[in-house]
Amino acid sequence: MIHADDGILSQEQRLMRDSCRSFVDDVVTPFIRSNWQREWDMSPGERLPSAILEGAEAIGVRTLGVPEEFGGIDLEKETEVRTFALISEEIARGDSGLADKLVQNWKVSIVLRQFAPKHLQEKWFPRLLEDPKFLLAHCLTEPRGASDRWLPYNVPEASMHTKAVLDGDHWVINGRKQFISNGFDASLYVVYANTDPSVGMLQGTSSFLVPRGTPGLTITKCNETMGCRFMNNGELVFEDCRVPADHLLVKSTALASAGQYFRAGKIIQAAKNLGVGVACFERTADYVQNYVQGGRILIKHQAVALRLADMATRIEAVRSLVERAAKAVDEAHPDADILCNMAKVYASEEIMKVATHALELHGGNGAMLEFGIEKLFRDAAIFLHMDATVDVSRMKIIKNMFPATAGKYAGPES
Amino acid sequence: MKVVVAVKRVADPNVKVRALADGSGVDLANVKMTMNPFDEIAVEEAVRLKEAGHATEIVVVSVGPEKSAETLRTALAMGADRGLLVRSDAVVEPLAVAKILKAVAETEKPDLIIVGKQAIDDDANQTGQMLAALLGWGQGTFASKIAIGGAAIEVTREVDGGLQTVNLPLPALVTADLRLNEPRYASLPNIMKAKKKPIDEKTPADYGVAVEPRLTVVRVHEPATRKAGIKVGSVAELVDKLRTEAGVL
Repeated sequence: MIHADDGILSQEQRLMRDSCRSFVDDVVTPFIRSNWQREWDMSPGERLPSAILEGAEAIGVRTLGVPEEFGGIDLEKETEVRTFALISEEIARGDSGLADKLVQNWKVSIVLRQFAPKHLQEKWFPRLLEDPKFLLAHCLTEPRGASDRWLPYNVPEASMHTKAVLDGDHWVINGRKQFISNGFDASLYVVYANTDPSVGMLQGTSSFLVPRGTPGLTITKCNETMGCRFMNNGELVFEDCRVPADHLLVKSTALASAGQYFRAGKIIQAAKNLGVGVACFERTADYVQNYVQGGRILIKHQAVALRLADMATRIEAVRSLVERAAKAVDEAHPDADILCNMAKVYASEEIMKVATHALELHGGNGAMLEFGIEKLFRDAAIFLHMDATVDVSRMKIIKNMFPATAGKYAGPES
Repeated sequence: MKVVVAVKRVADPNVKVRALADGSGVDLANVKMTMNPFDEIAVEEAVRLKEAGHATEIVVVSVGPEKSAETLRTALAMGADRGLLVRSDAVVEPLAVAKILKAVAETEKPDLIIVGKQAIDDDANQTGQMLAALLGWGQGTFASKIAIGGAAIEVTREVDGGLQTVNLPLPALVTADLRLNEPRYASLPNIMKAKKKPIDEKTPADYGVAVEPRLTVVRVHEPATRKAGIKVGSVAELVDKLRTEAGVL
């Protein structure tokens, strides 16, 4: 119970899971537990010691998604998203910020392997593989809109404010990107910008590859977040930022083409969330079987047992939905879009309840920074907002389920 | 130099195991299984020998049920080159394992065999020694350090009261102790690559070895549970209880 059932995993998936779990139990969790102050170091680059990323490197979790021909590994394609889910859950069980940092690399690698011209893949994949600190970022969100952009139903008014214009053999990008995972310390960015203001977002958005250090790209700040603090979320400004014409990844239909990225992303999001829930449960189950109150261990108090049962049940329910949705994405099922949004939103709300129980069952200790439970609570809370808010996710579900009515532009009825 | 490493699939040392109700053994249903930790050290040492340019091929062998193939796969992911599963669903005692490994050694003709000093399930600590005796090879048991020098191997052993260094002509057998090395994690890319490495399957009968147990397990039971402690009110009471109840003074 609580963890994935070995019976549904392949031998390779089990071995990968075991390696990740050993890494988390031997390296990540001891670091997090004994260095709880590190989260609050206000020099973002100093927070996570390089030894942790090097450890992640040693088990090879930083560069999933890089094709074997460039020195990466090809996971079984038919179960790739499920493998991503399994691994991101294990890492997030140790620390969800670390998991964020790493999974962003997988997600962007998927985009690169699909859309980047071969010579740019040959240039960047080896650099990614060589340097344990090399991170990738995917820049969609802007100060004036993120997932809510999808709601006004693909009209020109909803387009990105960041614009790219072709000038000779270069694209010139102007605009701002905000709340970007890994944005503060990534070495390579995939940036979405409007290239045709006369049409809707789905027809007029293009994607570009922008290396860190390109003149005109400024990383303005690290956003300090309530949870997942070991991933440095950043804000970027583009002022006449020029990239060569071959750095265009997808012309016009970048958002429509990034479907597999988005779907895998929602699953990974839900899976990391599940990892936080599992950590809440394991910590709490251990605590209530050892802490004595009124002469007996907590778990023998029925009120405590009921809450623990509720935690376990919610985790199992989330796992079932995540597994079904991940399978749908792997198999390109027509309902995959709907299911992955369902998994993401359901995980965020259910694991929040699991984390609340964990906090309550730890009593006063639950509120203490050095105890580590309040960290899980904060990490769980972030998931309500990360990669779309709860309400936007629900709107997407209905838009997809009822494209003819809910999916139509919400202007005056004709 | 060719190295053979033997590995055993055992219950995960972090899992609390229970005795079967009828006392016939340990309940392994639904228990997480893993590679015997001392065997992991043996595999790691072989991989390091290969990385250092001493070993050219590492063959990893396991005697056990079908699922032992997974343990072999872990060893392949750590860096071994190919696997051999000698399949037996019944319990195979150390002497029979040693006889099977002797037959394997006669076919594979390795220069060095490394095994864990003991398996953490039955703690027999016999297979390595029996195998060396059957082969008539020198043995360096409880190794905490090894060094290859030409046609010989220098093995530093952890013995009571210190370290003992022995020099063995190759072929030789080494049993790995805890401090020999710290085994690596199988990395995800290597797990995928290990999928393409071959695992051969044989049975004890193929080697003409009978695996019928020679020992009878009389009863397996759990250790007595420790009684809860008590708080004493004063040093005088403590001394009194140590004298009258514990009988240690």
